[in-house]
Amino acid sequence: MAAVLRIEDLKKSYKTGRKSPRREAIDGLNLEIEAGQILGLLGPNGAGKTTTLKSVLGLVNPDSGDIWLFGNQGTSAEARKKIGFLPEQPYFELYLTPRKLLRYFGKLFGLQPAAIEARISHLLSLVGLSEEADLSLNCFSKGMLQRIGIAQALISEPEFLILDEPSSGLDPLGKIHIRGILEGLRRGGTTILISSHQLSEVEDVCDGVAIIDRGRNIASGSLDELLQSEEQYEISLGGPLPDFNAALPQSAFWKDEKKGRLNLRREDLNAALKLLMDNGGSISEVRQKRLSLEEFFTTRVERSSERTEE
Amino acid sequence: MRLLGIFAWSVVEDAMHRKVFYIILALTVLLIFLIPLLPSAQLGVQVDLMREAALGLTTIMAFILAIIMGATIVPRDANQRTIYNIISKPVQRWHYFMGKFLGIMLVVAFTLALIFLVMVIFVFAKFRVFDPGLLKALFTIFLEASILTSLVMMASVYLSPLVSIFLAILFYVVAHAKGDYLYSAMNNGNPVAKIGAGFLYYIFPNLERFNINETIAHGERVFRVGAVNLILLTLMAAAFSSIFLYLGVYLFSRRDL
Repeated sequence: MAAVLRIEDLKKSYKTGRKSPRREAIDGLNLEIEAGQILGLLGPNGAGKTTTLKSVLGLVNPDSGDIWLFGNQGTSAEARKKIGFLPEQPYFELYLTPRKLLRYFGKLFGLQPAAIEARISHLLSLVGLSEEADLSLNCFSKGMLQRIGIAQALISEPEFLILDEPSSGLDPLGKIHIRGILEGLRRGGTTILISSHQLSEVEDVCDGVAIIDRGRNIASGSLDELLQSEEQYEISLGGPLPDFNAALPQSAFWKDEKKGRLNLRREDLNAALKLLMDNGGSISEVRQKRLSLEEFFTTRVERSSERTEE
Repeated sequence: MRLLGIFAWSVVEDAMHRKVFYIILALTVLLIFLIPLLPSAQLGVQVDLMREAALGLTTIMAFILAIIMGATIVPRDANQRTIYNIISKPVQRWHYFMGKFLGIMLVVAFTLALIFLVMVIFVFAKFRVFDPGLLKALFTIFLEASILTSLVMMASVYLSPLVSIFLAILFYVVAHAKGDYLYSAMNNGNPVAKIGAGFLYYIFPNLERFNINETIAHGERVFRVGAVNLILLTLMAAAFSSIFLYLGVYLFSRRDL
């Protein structure tokens, strides 16, 4: 499949003060999204997620590296014709109505007036704001503004949709609604990049994730692949615990030492079982444990932080 | 052109929704109506005084409008992050910047046209004099406003609105003082003052050339502002505005949003 977005060795630093050193927001980032994929971009605060999105959209000028959109190098206005973008907590001129706002953005894409009007009706119904079409945005809640933000991102029927915290400000029903919209877009073949802190949302919607920390891609791939790579096993011991802590494999740790529950990674399973049996341990159960995305995320980010500190 | 028009019109619509625009406009019209109450208005040269005071007020109003709008339009979009929704669309940054400039100029032109109507009707009602010559003065006010707007927009790419406004006022004062004070300082005084004044003299445009209010107010009896004068002033305004706009677009294209 062709890559809709490919980022190669992207770097971006910012001045933090006159005498302070520049801060690396993105430090050699590599990332790729294939056509039709929904990719979740995850990372702790300040990891460089928003700067990455801004670089792709031409809002910031990277120091070095390459960005390829739809097979072409650079972030030209021509490439942006095929992109829809929802910024984090979008803000609009509040005297506008949803209809006027969408008309304005439709014009920026060069759409014909009739096509814009048809698209506005469809989108307002899609985000559940048909009845508020001619009300001033002044009287909209945060969640309603977020929905309008999503509608404006879809005005041009983009091939590639970039969403920065799409669920921000939405109530649980609103989040489910947006998830439904994203599912519909996935069926239509839209490629979507979602930057989010809502790991459950990413887990539900995305095919793959990329975790970035300190401006670097520390893990990326399909969700199944990634979660399997960190697959854990839990060994439950019956009876008294033999004293062999020193010899345990590196990935092993006591989840609950009193109850004799030992967690470890797949590659260390055989060695651990042998060690336990050789030392007279009584094994009552061996259970496969698939990590949740949250656990995977936490593990990888902590590991990345430890490496950086070393 | 299509995008420039869209951005320009968005500025006009935005201005129509801001109270400050109506306050400035209403205050100007009100003050024009109050001119005949000035004590010196009773002394004889009433029409001339009326026109001069009205044009003075209009000049101040147009420059306040141009400077405030020019200094705030880009920073406001950037601070409110509305700019993300715009620049991420298939538009070039220069479309946005130039479109906003044209929009401000449209607002200034619209306001000047409105004041022209008020002035013409008021002068006619009061003195039975129809004076289309006022248009020339309003045109040069517009030209000078275009220079100030482009300068303040350029400054506002990296500076806060307040600092940009301060710079624009400083520029205005120096560029108006150029004809008299800078010229004499350049030819007299100590060597350091001479060099400083000479530098400013050649760098700054002589904005005093755009001030034809007095000539127009006195019915062009001493000096007639002909088509050649107006064309030259237009070229001068176009040249300086182009320089500031070019620099503004260059800075804006390098700015991280």
